[in-house]
Amino acid sequence: MARPHIEPYVELDSPYKKFNLGGFKGSHYKVLSLDTDTGACTLKVRFDGGYRRKPGLSYSDVEIFLLNGSMQVGKETWREGHYAFLPAGTALGAIRVAQGAEALVMYNDSEPTFVESDRHHPLVLGDAFVSMNSYEDAPWASGSVVSPSVATGCMIKLLRFDPITEAFSFLYCLAPRYGQDNISYHDCAEESYHIWGTSWMMQFGDLPTGGYFWRPPYINHGSFRCTYGTLAFGRTDSVLYNYFHYNPWTNPDENQLRAAAFQYRKRPQLYNWVASDGHNHPHGPPDFETPDYGDEAQVRLLHGQPVGGSPGRRRGKRR
Amino acid sequence: MAKRVQDLKPARKADAQAWMKENVAEQKKRYAAIVKEQEELGPEREKWVAGFLKIIQTKGFNVTGDVRRIIKPGEIPKKPKGMKKHQVVF
Repeated sequence: MARPHIEPYVELDSPYKKFNLGGFKGSHYKVLSLDTDTGACTLKVRFDGGYRRKPGLSYSDVEIFLLNGSMQVGKETWREGHYAFLPAGTALGAIRVAQGAEALVMYNDSEPTFVESDRHHPLVLGDAFVSMNSYEDAPWASGSVVSPSVATGCMIKLLRFDPITEAFSFLYCLAPRYGQDNISYHDCAEESYHIWGTSWMMQFGDLPTGGYFWRPPYINHGSFRCTYGTLAFGRTDSVLYNYFHYNPWTNPDENQLRAAAFQYRKRPQLYNWVASDGHNHPHGPPDFETPDYGDEAQVRLLHGQPVGGSPGRRRGKRR
Repeated sequence: MAKRVQDLKPARKADAQAWMKENVAEQKKRYAAIVKEQEELGPEREKWVAGFLKIIQTKGFNVTGDVRRIIKPGEIPKKPKGMKKHQVVF
């Protein structure tokens, strides 16, 4: 299996452990989530004053978000709010920490690895490299970057976007007295760490400062409330689409079927092509919210089924 | 298929195996604790759900952004028969 559903997890009272593995040996870490097969993980790492690491690279894509403190990384000084995306094989400069720092460190492909090197690996996909201070170098934008969209009062700073999967990493904030009255789920996994503030979801209750979740696809979350404001770091593992609804009791299987039903209605050609390979639901998958949608004329027309006097056309045949 | 740096990762050594074993075991415990904690929230969650179902019939349901739709009483979903607990962690 991949990473389990970890939600909510408030890590502040959990102890740090010595980091004895390649990666950031000599620091201290706690695991926020871990893929039990690949070793991909999200860690919170504490670098004590005097920490040093030689230049080197990892065999995994790595993301780092500096929560507090500062560190010298090669010729750059990273301060709180610094975000870096290091494509696998990126040689990061020598690290020196004078006063101490804490960071979220994410290995996206495997357990932590480290090879001492001052040169990038020849196969590195260097164009994907990002290094920026998210607090100072990126503007807040409306959270309505996708549609259907979140309610006004949720804003994001886009830090990294993967054009292949449309996965993205971002800062987000919720304004004081934020509210959104719907239940959401996505096709993607979603991850968040609360840098400051408390927000509330109808399933899980309060998520305070230091609160974290790794949520696999199709799991209900929301409605949403935030009383005093929240600042958080978030990521998805692929494109994020907001499937909103108002049935509190659906499970991930039902939600996934509903998502497939959306495809059936909205992308009929694609759906038919996909379904032709042994996953055939000739009348569309069940949709807990609109169980009779298959009777709708427009849906039947899209799928070449008889409507009125029309005999329909052979299923899947292109016009 | 083009090779990627990830493809060249050496096999996991003993120290990494031990690291995985230790942290997978701890994560299992953490997961169990989360499930227990969330199950204990059950009675409170029922009140939250009741409040939500009331709000979407009065103030409305956020269809997208700030666009709301008042949900009619006949559209309100019913708790599935036989559902003993409302599972939220999967």
